[in-house]
Amino acid sequence: MLHIYCPHCEEYREEEEFRPKGEAHIARPQNPEETSDEEWGDYLFFRKNPRGAHHEQWYHAAGCRKFFNVTRDTVSYEILETYKVGELPTIDDTSRRAAK
Amino acid sequence: MSEFATIDLVPTEPVKAESPLAMCRVDVITEPKAQSAGVVVREHAFLGHLVLRGNAGDAGFVNGVEQALGVPLPLKMGPLSVDEARGVSLQWISPDEWLIIVPGGEAFAAEQRLRETLGGHFAVMNVSGGQTVLELSGPAVPEMLMKCTPYDVHPNHFPVGKGVSTTFAKTTAIIRRLDEDRWALVIRRSFADYLYRWLLDASEEFGVHVAR
Amino acid sequence: MQHYSGFELVKHGLSHHENWQRVWRNPEPRSQYDIIIVGGGGHGLATAYYLAKEHGITNVAVVEKGWLGGGNTARNTTIVRSNYLWDEAAWLYEHAMKLWEGLSQDLNYNVMFSQRGVMNLGHTLQDMRDINRRVNANRLNGIDGEVLDVKQIQEIVPLMDCSRNTRYPVLGASWQPRAGVARHDAVAWGFARAADALGVHLLQRTEVTGIRTSGGKVLGVETSRGFIGAKTVGVVTAGNSGVLAKMAGIRLPIESHPLQALVSEPMKPVLDTVVMSNHVHGYISQSDKGDLVIGAGIDGYNGYGQRGSYPTIEHTLQAIVELFPAFSRVRMNRQWGGIVDTTPDACPIISATPVGGLFFNCGWGTGGFKATPGSGNVFAATLANGKAHPLAAPFSIDRFISGKLIDEHGAAGVAH
Ligand SMILES: [Zn+2]
Repeated sequence: MLHIYCPHCEEYREEEEFRPKGEAHIARPQNPEETSDEEWGDYLFFRKNPRGAHHEQWYHAAGCRKFFNVTRDTVSYEILETYKVGELPTIDDTSRRAAK
Repeated sequence: MSEFATIDLVPTEPVKAESPLAMCRVDVITEPKAQSAGVVVREHAFLGHLVLRGNAGDAGFVNGVEQALGVPLPLKMGPLSVDEARGVSLQWISPDEWLIIVPGGEAFAAEQRLRETLGGHFAVMNVSGGQTVLELSGPAVPEMLMKCTPYDVHPNHFPVGKGVSTTFAKTTAIIRRLDEDRWALVIRRSFADYLYRWLLDASEEFGVHVAR
Repeated sequence: MQHYSGFELVKHGLSHHENWQRVWRNPEPRSQYDIIIVGGGGHGLATAYYLAKEHGITNVAVVEKGWLGGGNTARNTTIVRSNYLWDEAAWLYEHAMKLWEGLSQDLNYNVMFSQRGVMNLGHTLQDMRDINRRVNANRLNGIDGEVLDVKQIQEIVPLMDCSRNTRYPVLGASWQPRAGVARHDAVAWGFARAADALGVHLLQRTEVTGIRTSGGKVLGVETSRGFIGAKTVGVVTAGNSGVLAKMAGIRLPIESHPLQALVSEPMKPVLDTVVMSNHVHGYISQSDKGDLVIGAGIDGYNGYGQRGSYPTIEHTLQAIVELFPAFSRVRMNRQWGGIVDTTPDACPIISATPVGGLFFNCGWGTGGFKATPGSGNVFAATLANGKAHPLAAPFSIDRFISGKLIDEHGAAGVAH
């Protein structure tokens, strides 16, 4: 069971209260009309799917009903940080290696 | 005062109001007396429920709400603002959303006061028909709640005055701790029948009394 | 290869079964092969087998980081069916079904394929409309299918609660009589043994650590046992496909998720078919050993952990008990998780890549086991000819650029 810190509720809550919503920080192409098929397909369907630190969106469905971001290890499932939408992560695989 | 058409949802003609629990089938054996029950369930039907949305970073909004409702706007998840004597409570739901509960019949007046006081970007919506309140008392309430929700209801983690929105019996409910022995659930109309029967079923082993 | 038969069984009985030949060899890698298959699961082994058998290409290595059939092949609920909605998917899975039907004889290995029928329950009017549509589509494609009413369902599965008083009453079902289950390990072992006999090298405990390319063409793979060369490399690594793709510098429209399953304590036969419900979201069958084999949905988050979360187990068992109240008293023995590689349209990717000679067969998501022989068969043809087998062509990775998706979320059986 994941124990997730909601940056809005400022409290750890059980996994059941949340819904995972996939990779975070995917920017919609600025000018969809001028976007190539490759770029549009990439935006819609292609994901990083890393083995290691993953920046992803979660939704606090049963709590504050806000989206926020989580940095989570996709092998150990350890949650490394949570942060609000609009903020940037402070942890990735490079920074984790450097910290070791 | 914002430019907004408002309507009092309580009809002036006498019509029979019914709580969402009016049609509930109770199929557990209940205790005849509250004293002998581990859990006492009492519905507080027909209260006024309002959802307020606004910018917590706007001092005008924060002060305006307090001025209109007489209780401060809570800016964090956790403790409710309550005026017990007037039956008014104000709960943080989300960084930009609050639940106001006032005595039955007073929702429209509260909405109008908010509209008169507040300016700028905000929203207030009367949802009185959409939810109801169940008060739970008795020595077995915490133990019973542990069967229903993954949220930690231990007194150390759930002090008097706190309110949370969480998972409850596979759906959602707001859990509030009113005082040392009394708790309350704010539940949605569409789940009310299900949750009410779930609660009675979960409470049966402790002895459950339905107070009216 | 030593032939398996009743006669051999009796003959070896005389020497206390101590002289059976090893089922496959453990060869030293050559420096160069014609074709390398990365991933020694069912799909990879089937690919190697069909390369040797149908295309005469035997200078082939299957490179596996662990042991054969130790990934999702050993971690699924063994359901085999072909009742998919869209033509492209139906043809592919039906191709597999036809191979399943002769597989034990073909491999001279009992894969215990049991055509006990698979039932997909409908609990709402929309479910029933979808079921009718899918059964009609299946029949137009020559795939067996029937729509059952509640009385017919109850006759096939007397133990299931088909009363009107349940939270989600059973209204009907689609029924594929030729569908069923197979013994998952035996499938991997059968393909491994047959491929080995035809000269394929099965390299276990050989982890691929890099894909060497030059001028946009693949040269071979770096492994924990050194570099192994080949001008054609087929990657069949299910949940780890994204990791392999990264080694080659390409991206895939894939997300890896945990999918878990459970088995109960063994008990007497009570269920002689496979019951699936998309709506209450669980599926169940009883193995020949007698244990109930239970599965349900994926965990919603990305994960490579080969384990699942508790809320999903709880949800799954609630669904099973909803359908079979009697099973509420059955104890669960084991629970495990696999890593499934899900695509946006719940259909696999069998495709060339921008790297010359490098092919991927992945994205089978929650439903790869049923396709094992078909997947291997069309992928072998694709590798042998350097271009997609006609049944594999619609499953090219290009569809995520062109938008020509094959949306099988409805028939996939597991929501994702
Ligand atoms: Zn929250």
